[in-house]
Amino acid sequence: MTEKLQRSVVEPKNPRLNVSRSANLPHVPGIRVGDYIFLSGMGPIDPQTGERNHGPIAEQIRTTLSNMQHMLESAGSSLQRVVRVHVILADISHAQEMERVYRELFPIDPPARTVWSMQLRFGNGCEIECVALAA
Amino acid sequence: MSPKREVIVSSARAGDAGTRSAPSLSTLVRGGDFIFVSGLTAVDLRSGKRMRDTTASETRQILTNLKQLLEAAGSSLDKVVKVNVLLHSMLEAPNMNEVYARFFPEPPPARTVCGARVPDGAKVIIECTALA
Repeated sequence: MTEKLQRSVVEPKNPRLNVSRSANLPHVPGIRVGDYIFLSGMGPIDPQTGERNHGPIAEQIRTTLSNMQHMLESAGSSLQRVVRVHVILADISHAQEMERVYRELFPIDPPARTVWSMQLRFGNGCEIECVALAA
Repeated sequence: MSPKREVIVSSARAGDAGTRSAPSLSTLVRGGDFIFVSGLTAVDLRSGKRMRDTTASETRQILTNLKQLLEAAGSSLDKVVKVNVLLHSMLEAPNMNEVYARFFPEPPPARTVCGARVPDGAKVIIECTALA
């Protein structure tokens, strides 16, 4: 018989990036269970101020992925341990610009990825979620 | 022991070749007990050429490729646990379903279908998670 799996909450070391808590939203930044970490969809939040960053899409993507890196590293994982990414864009015509920045953060053996566009909240240009392997 | 991560199929090998550089993704990644498959669009796996056709034809091409990719990785369609299908229009869902139903043995995997804007003029994207 296998051991019963336990869930634990993944939280960023930088409290400004704990958006769900500061906005009192009914979700956590991420859940670790067994071998996996499941992160909530993340938007472009300035790690210095905790405010939304609505600059050019390249900047929004870079900020979001950098925050994702922080979130994973806070849980002892890393971008290199990510297995699946969903990139949701507000505007599908930003796909190429996203790709340009994205490859800077996943230069080798990148994770599986799906990109599409649909309505996003708060005027965000992107929302990115992932599944990663735990440490 | 920490779970192993392995890229099984890089994007370059799964088509979408041609003049453009390969996108920054791996088509199949194994992590722990699961295989994670990137959102696939219709591609001729031999020539690497993109195929833009009807929703039914694109679905057929994608699932043919998915079957081949999973089997080459030691998995198969009957080991798929979850599928996400993105369609350029939800009006096309019956056209996708008709083809889709022929591919998966009983019982088929869990699935979500959404209407979304998809890149590169494709009509269908299919991604899945399967047991390794």
